[in-house]
Amino acid sequence: MRLRDFIIRRILLAIPVVFGVLTITWFLSHMVGDPVVMYINTNTPASAIPGIIRSHGLDQPPHIQYFIYLNNLFHGDWGESTSMSFRPVTEVIAQRFPATIELALVAMVFAVLLGIPLGIISATRKDQMIDHFTRIFSLAGVSMPIFWFAIMLKYVLYYQLAIMGLPHLPGGYRYDSNRFYWFQYTTGFILIDSLVYAHSIPLFVDALTHLVMPGFCLGYLTMAIITRMMRSSMLEVLREDYITLARAKGLSEKVVIYRHALRNALIPTVTVIGLAFGGLMTGAVLTETIFQWHGLGQWAVSAILSADLAAINGFTLLVALIFVTANLIVDLVYGTLDPRIRFG
Amino acid sequence: MSDDELVLKVEDLVTNFYTYEGVVKALDGVNLFLRKGDTMGLVGETGCGKSVTARSILRLVEPPGRIEGGRILLYVPNEESGNVEEVDLLKLSEEDMLHVRGRLVSIVFQDPATFPNPVFTIGDQIAEVVMLHQDLRKEALEIRIEELRNALDKLEGKGGLVSSTRREKIRERLAHYESQLDDPPEPDPKYKKKAALKIAEDMLRLVKMPAPDKVMMQYPHELSGGMRQRALIAMALACNPLILICDEATTALDVTVQAQVLNLLNELKKEVGTSIIIITHDMGVVAETCSWVTVMYAGTTVESCATEELFYNPRHPYTAGLLTAVPKLHENRERLPQIRGSVPNLITPPPGCRFHPRCDYATGICETEKPHLKEISPGHWVACHHPLPDKGGKR
Repeated sequence: MRLRDFIIRRILLAIPVVFGVLTITWFLSHMVGDPVVMYINTNTPASAIPGIIRSHGLDQPPHIQYFIYLNNLFHGDWGESTSMSFRPVTEVIAQRFPATIELALVAMVFAVLLGIPLGIISATRKDQMIDHFTRIFSLAGVSMPIFWFAIMLKYVLYYQLAIMGLPHLPGGYRYDSNRFYWFQYTTGFILIDSLVYAHSIPLFVDALTHLVMPGFCLGYLTMAIITRMMRSSMLEVLREDYITLARAKGLSEKVVIYRHALRNALIPTVTVIGLAFGGLMTGAVLTETIFQWHGLGQWAVSAILSADLAAINGFTLLVALIFVTANLIVDLVYGTLDPRIRFG
Repeated sequence: MSDDELVLKVEDLVTNFYTYEGVVKALDGVNLFLRKGDTMGLVGETGCGKSVTARSILRLVEPPGRIEGGRILLYVPNEESGNVEEVDLLKLSEEDMLHVRGRLVSIVFQDPATFPNPVFTIGDQIAEVVMLHQDLRKEALEIRIEELRNALDKLEGKGGLVSSTRREKIRERLAHYESQLDDPPEPDPKYKKKAALKIAEDMLRLVKMPAPDKVMMQYPHELSGGMRQRALIAMALACNPLILICDEATTALDVTVQAQVLNLLNELKKEVGTSIIIITHDMGVVAETCSWVTVMYAGTTVESCATEELFYNPRHPYTAGLLTAVPKLHENRERLPQIRGSVPNLITPPPGCRFHPRCDYATGICETEKPHLKEISPGHWVACHHPLPDKGGKR
């Protein structure tokens, strides 16, 4: 039961991390200005303000407010998102989380399915034409700001193609709501809902075409990082003695690379993939805004712009939880790839 | 010496490395031969090209290195006709070379810590080479039949309708497989793997691995250096190769383990019938295990003869110098004698004989003309213009 103990220990270790994150974000978010701004607008009469302050406990000293926040948090009350017409933060997260996860997973699939083979090809054909192209392609990915890349993609593949009357990719939203006006979400994952609950192949295809551009845009940076990591770790592994031994056994180059080198080279790449998954959540903030994707990222941006503190805290906490979980999964994958790592 | 008792003959092998500093002429006309059933020591100081020779024989020289000339002749017995075929390894296609590596010529490398693949079990790594080179049709079928027999034994004595119909079914399949024994079909991958793992375990037993069944499931990092080296030897011998090359295979081990491994090699040679090349710079190892020695200096072969002959009657000035530098237990010396000068830079090797700048006997011809390996007395080859006198019977 070493594996179980390992998981339990890692979860226990994650508690201080998450606690630290929520403490720092709470204090930072309450430092930027008077939190009462969240609850008033230009039409609020000045006489009503003291009552609002009192009713939200804003007249208490900060540490008391902080403990009230913690108390509420552990009772499942993450506060109200003022920018979403005072709906509970947990409800907004539950509603929008599937959209973001769906986008992040598609981006991840893009990144892994393209990044790993490109890295291998680049390493095994080092200094050949294809290696140079791959390196330029991935260098572009790590150097381009994601918002710029998103706008350019949208400009060319949607706007320009559309005004030329050519077939084009949809420029935003998760599906065509005019065509599929009858559609209602069940799980929130549109690829699942369209097939399992709506039984509509056209809707599924439509949702997929809507995913292509934002998914690729979000995944490009991660793909570039994976390609570069895969290339360098593959090159390193190919110089190892056990690769010489594998060749001396009479194994063909293909077997040497895909059986003996790949598994060893994947070990450092997996770390990067795990960290990048957290990065995707951050990237989603920009991508979702540009592609009108009704996910967490878009909500986070509007929350920041309207000083919606409960929403900001809730979003940050969620991202921290995802980071911690992704790292735990990476550590578990490690153990299956590398027998030298033992849990416990 | 007639050619029919040879298993390997290397002629004028040239290997260069193209580095930024210039062309390193690592091997410049290496000549050696190995007789069937012999253990040959390939000795020389660090950097003289012993390992490059080994890797060149397997054509495993990695870029920027390149084999530029010569012949590597392997004498392969043809099982059907009984004749011996001469194959020049340098003329084979890369694809044909895959059948030579691990099958006809195997190699055990120096460092048991870095050569096994860390992510596969020992069993899998040995079985891999077995599956690659051996026809396991018969072995796989036998395993299948044995499994069915065991299943039948278990059902024996059990009453009831269900077990009797199952027994019937198993008997049917057993009969089906037994009828195939004369001409076994291509096996199911699962049984092929099982057969290979069985051979792998037998190999581990052959190299005297303690608890072979347990080691099969273990990863390299769970074994000691000596055990890992045994596993690598098992891997190299798994397909009964014609030639086993041990490239400093015992250097990384401590002396007691080294002795065990050397004894093991000597025993295995008798059992498997493999000819062995032992690459080392340890004269003790040579004296202990080899019947024939080839001495290398700066990428060339300088002397080749029987071990006793070499120790008592060295004819090349370099070999003589090398031997006087070996410390002896019965002599009490403050300083060991040494050969003056140092190993030449192989980017700009000295012209003519590569040893002449350090040689006490060098004359004009040594600076201009490269000496060739000649048989100067029966069974004694030397590449020198002025070989030392024959000391004859001083044994």
